[in-house]
Amino acid sequence: MARFRLDRAATPLVLGVMLALLYVFLFAPVAYLVYTSFARDTVWPFPWRPTLAAYENLAHLRAYQEALWNSLGIALGTAVLSMTLSAMGSIAVLKYRHRWRGWFSIIIVSPMFVAELLIGISTLIFNRKVLGLPGNVPSAIIANAVHGMAFGFLIMLAQLVRYDWRLDDAAMVFGANPWRTFWHVTAPNIWPAMLGAFVITFLLAFNNLEISFYNLGAVPTLPSLAWGSLRYGLEAELFALAALVNGVVFLSFVVIYTLIRLGIVRFGYRGL
Amino acid sequence: MVSIQRILHRPETRFMLLGLPAVLFVIVFLLLPIVSVIVFSFWRTESYEIYADWNLDNYRTVLFEGTYLTFLWRSIVTAVIVTGACLLYAWPVAYFIAKYGGRYRLLLVLALAAPFFTGAVLRLAALQAIMGPIGVINMALGLIGLPPIEFLMFNRIASGIGIAYLYLPFMVTAIYLSLLNFNFQLLNVAKVNGARPWRAFLTVTWPLNWIGTAIGITLVFIPCLAESITPTFLGGPSGKLYGSVLGLQFDQTGTWALGSAMGVILFAVCCVVIGIMWLTINLKRSGFTGAGR
Repeated sequence: MARFRLDRAATPLVLGVMLALLYVFLFAPVAYLVYTSFARDTVWPFPWRPTLAAYENLAHLRAYQEALWNSLGIALGTAVLSMTLSAMGSIAVLKYRHRWRGWFSIIIVSPMFVAELLIGISTLIFNRKVLGLPGNVPSAIIANAVHGMAFGFLIMLAQLVRYDWRLDDAAMVFGANPWRTFWHVTAPNIWPAMLGAFVITFLLAFNNLEISFYNLGAVPTLPSLAWGSLRYGLEAELFALAALVNGVVFLSFVVIYTLIRLGIVRFGYRGL
Repeated sequence: MVSIQRILHRPETRFMLLGLPAVLFVIVFLLLPIVSVIVFSFWRTESYEIYADWNLDNYRTVLFEGTYLTFLWRSIVTAVIVTGACLLYAWPVAYFIAKYGGRYRLLLVLALAAPFFTGAVLRLAALQAIMGPIGVINMALGLIGLPPIEFLMFNRIASGIGIAYLYLPFMVTAIYLSLLNFNFQLLNVAKVNGARPWRAFLTVTWPLNWIGTAIGITLVFIPCLAESITPTFLGGPSGKLYGSVLGLQFDQTGTWALGSAMGVILFAVCCVVIGIMWLTINLKRSGFTGAGR
């Protein structure tokens, strides 16, 4: 009997330790990266003599700035495109019980199960050789959006499964046109889901190497800059940029969390 | 005019107007590109130009000229091992979060996604800086007089660890989302009826969460199979994988037709894996009762 009770206490303990170790494994490189961004020597950044040199260099290094703007542009374009398309798709599938909704869902999710490398090379071939387009930012945005849309669609579905579409019908009964209904009834209720889709697709595209790389030709992005400079050793500036991105994302999460705790915004539709 | 208004008001039309853009987007920007890869794989490239003479040479090269098949086989083995390791580690972790996470469940899962704020290249470079020959772990071992750990250096195990590092969170999330809808009280029922914990797990928990697990397996296996970044700088000379060689055809040697054939073969293997996973899914056995609750 005593052994049985010990078992019951030991299982969650072991599982909890496994989770903790997973966090260490996942975050050690990120922590190392932030740590090294303050170091003089990125190859062996010990002992700890912090410097802001890398951050100061960022301010006047054109190559990094150009790459940063390209990455931001790709991420923003991808996020807007995938959010819009996945929001429309998820509303169609959830609101209208059409007989094709299963097929539509499968088609929209399918890019998730195609390797990024394949998306990259196939859009490269299609754009360059079939359509005759040069490699540029718009084609990278489209290729990333195909991938991002699948993620956005799943996020929207998960959040909106319990949304009560009769709210929309009520607005329509009172004479609102579809556009007005969306802005005054649907959007205020589903915006957290749309924001979730936006943030995730933004980050995926911002950090994407394989899809963007083949579609961009000579246009640099932050990931391709990092990839290109790997063989010569990474510079502290790249670490500093990554640390800054982490800081910005982390801060915005803290802000959102505080807003939720203070009751200023609600996350997710929880019924009326 | 009136008839157009009436058509616009039909649910059918609304469904199509909202859903078709996304579907067409996938068809135009994913399906057509894949079809063009399939077409190109039967063509011929010569000095960076592609010519439309239909032949099977590219497939002959990939399938019968040793090296490519070796890389493919190595990628498949790596993907199987890494996916298996991820599965073994992800299940207990996801189970812990779902069962004992309480009100912090969402936070615990979101924390798994936080590493994705940093690009894969930089994270892997940092991982290399930690695991590599002059990395933190081996230097620390050296300082206290222990020999370095060989398997953390440039080889296939190191690149396996790197790949698992990138995709393990997908597996945990997929299993967690499945467990979120799992009724843990079923386990009490099993116990009351005399099942030991392991038996309860194998006959209740595992089959009822198989769909989520299968999705997790697919989501990890496919990028593992196509992985090209990690092995290039964690794998060392003997660790080169199919994805890296495939990428080379496009950005260095310019042999697009051969690369296309390699892509088609990769795509085919992925489809087989998805097909196998699809066949193992039995909606009734998984306790599926329709969408939503």
